[in-house]
Amino acid sequence: MSLIYNIKFTKSSFINIFNDYYSEVKHFARRIRNPLLKILMIILKSIEWGIYHWYKSSIRRFYGVRGNELIFNITKRCNEKCAKCGIWKNPEKDDERLSIDVFIQCLNALKKNLYQVTITGGEPLLFKDEILKIAKEARENNIPVVTVTNGVLSDEIFVQKYGEMKHILVFSIDTLNKEKWKILRGTASYNIVMNNLNIAKKILGKRLQIQTVLAKENKDDINEIVTYCKKNNLKHTIQPYMDFGGHLHPVEKSSNNTSNMPCAARKNIVILQNGDVIKCFDHYRIPYAKLPLGNIKHEDIITILCKRRSIEVSRIMKYCNLPCKNLSCNIPATEFYD
Amino acid sequence: MSILIIPCYIKNAYDEKCIHRLLESVTRQTTPFEKVLVVDDASKYAYPIYQKEVEKITIASNSGPARARNIGIEKAISLNIKNILFTDHDCVLDENWNKEMSNCLDNNNFGAVGGMTYSFGKTIYDKYHDFNGTLNGKWLLPKKQELWYMPSLNFGMKSYVATEFIYDEKFPTAAGEDVDLCLRLRSKYKIGFCPKAKLWHDYGYKGHYKDFNKFVKLFMKYKSSSATLYEGHTVLLWDSSESIYPGNMYESNI
Repeated sequence: MSLIYNIKFTKSSFINIFNDYYSEVKHFARRIRNPLLKILMIILKSIEWGIYHWYKSSIRRFYGVRGNELIFNITKRCNEKCAKCGIWKNPEKDDERLSIDVFIQCLNALKKNLYQVTITGGEPLLFKDEILKIAKEARENNIPVVTVTNGVLSDEIFVQKYGEMKHILVFSIDTLNKEKWKILRGTASYNIVMNNLNIAKKILGKRLQIQTVLAKENKDDINEIVTYCKKNNLKHTIQPYMDFGGHLHPVEKSSNNTSNMPCAARKNIVILQNGDVIKCFDHYRIPYAKLPLGNIKHEDIITILCKRRSIEVSRIMKYCNLPCKNLSCNIPATEFYD
Repeated sequence: MSILIIPCYIKNAYDEKCIHRLLESVTRQTTPFEKVLVVDDASKYAYPIYQKEVEKITIASNSGPARARNIGIEKAISLNIKNILFTDHDCVLDENWNKEMSNCLDNNNFGAVGGMTYSFGKTIYDKYHDFNGTLNGKWLLPKKQELWYMPSLNFGMKSYVATEFIYDEKFPTAAGEDVDLCLRLRSKYKIGFCPKAKLWHDYGYKGHYKDFNKFVKLFMKYKSSSATLYEGHTVLLWDSSESIYPGNMYESNI
C-alpha cells in the first residue's frame, strides 16, 4: 500500500465513497441557481467524479512521479571527531540501533513515492553490510541511493559492490591542507582518505562526489577543493555550516537568511538510528515538532505520516524560515534513475 | 517586459483556425508582448504565421508540451526577459491579459501567477466547465491568498523562478505537467491569482451528440494524470484546495 491510499476517504468502504461523492457534489451544486440546469450539471459532475475514482482505483493506478526523499541516519557513531559536527559525542548503544530489516520494510512501504534514499550518520560505513543491503533493495526498486561518508573506511571491496548497483557515494572533504585537516577532522586521516578517494574514483567515476561544509574556519580552502574536483572531474557541492552540535562558525552569507522562502524539506522523511521519524534535522527547533512524529519500530511509516500531527508539522515547516533551508536537502527535485 | 510562449501541435484546419484566432488576440493587446514565441511540437499539418512579430521555433520530433514550453523558457532566459507567460493555441486572450498578468507579477512577491479562464463556446458542456472551474486554478485553503496550482494555459512566472523550475518532460501529453510544476514550484514560491487577466479557452464542443464523448475523454485525460500526480506528490495530502469559478474568484484578500 502506498501513502496516498491510506487516507481515510480513499478507503473503499461504501460510506467513505458516498461521503466523498456527496461532499463534492453538494459543494458544486450550490454554484448553480437554475433548478433544471442544476440537475443536468450534477449529472455531468457525477460522471466527472466517476472517471476520477476509476483512475484512483487500485487496478487503474500507475506511477510516474516520485516526490519524497528518504533520509536514514544509520548511526550516531563516528570514527572521526569533526569540528563541524557534534553527533560523534553521543554514540548510540548497540540495542538502541534500528534493525536494518525494519528500515527496509519502511523503504518498501514508501518505494513508489521516493526519488532518492540518502544514508548518512555518524559514519555510515561503520555498517557496510547494512548499507549494501539497503542499496540492493533500493536498486531493485529503481531508487538511487546517496551515501555520505568521511571516507576513512571506504575500501575497494565495498565500493566495487556498491558501485555495481549504480549508487552514488559522497566523500566529505572540508580542506586539502594536511595540518588544517587534523583540526577540522580531529584525526590525522588525510592520507588514508585521499588514498581511498582515488580508489573510489577509479571504480565509481562520476558516481563519486565531494561535499564540503563551508565555515569561517575553512572558507580559504574552498578554492583549492574546487580546483581539485575540476581537475579530477568530480561533482562538488558546498553546504553552509549549520550548528548541529559542532563548534565551527558560519560564514556571514549562510547565517543571515532573509529570503523568506518556504522550506521544501517537508518532502523529506528522516529516519533516525533508533527508528524515530522526523521531517528534517532541524526538527527540534520548531516548537510544535520537538518530539519525533513516531517510531517505525512500533508503527507503520504510512500510519505515522498520515497522523494529524505529521500534517501539522509539514504545514509549519513550509514557513519555518530556519537558516537550514540553505542546505541541499531543501532543494526540491524530481529525479529518476537513468 | 514579458514573453508569451505558445506550445502547439497543429493537427487539422480547426487547430490552425484556433492559433490564428489566438495570434489575432495577441496583436490586440493594450500592452504588447516583448516577444511572442510559437513552439511547434513537430506538427504534421503545415500552417503559416502571418504576424511578423511572432517567432516560430519547430522541434524536430514530437516531444510533448512540457518540452515545447521548456524550449520557450530557455529562449526567454537567454533574452533576459523578466516575465514568462504561457497560453495554449486554443485560447483567446483578453486585450488586457498581458498588462494584468505582468502587473500581477511585477507588483507582488508571487513567483508565478494565473488568470481567470472562461469557456469560449456556449454549449452545455462549456457551461459546465465554467461552473466547475475545470481549467481554472485552485485556491489554497483556507486563506485563499495563493493558488494550489494553475493550469499552464493561463499562467505566468518570473524568469528567475523558471531558472529553478521547468516543466518535467516525462509528461507526454498536456495533462498533469502543469500541476507537477506548480507543486514543485510552491515548495519555494507562492502562486498568485489575477482575476482580471481573462482568457477564453475553446474546448472544441460543436453542439451535437458527439460532444459527450469529447467531455468524457477530456476528463479521462485529466483524471488519469491526477491519479499519477497524487501517487507521486505525497505533499498533496497536506493541502486542501478549491477550484476557482466566477462565484469565488473575488473571495481572496490578495
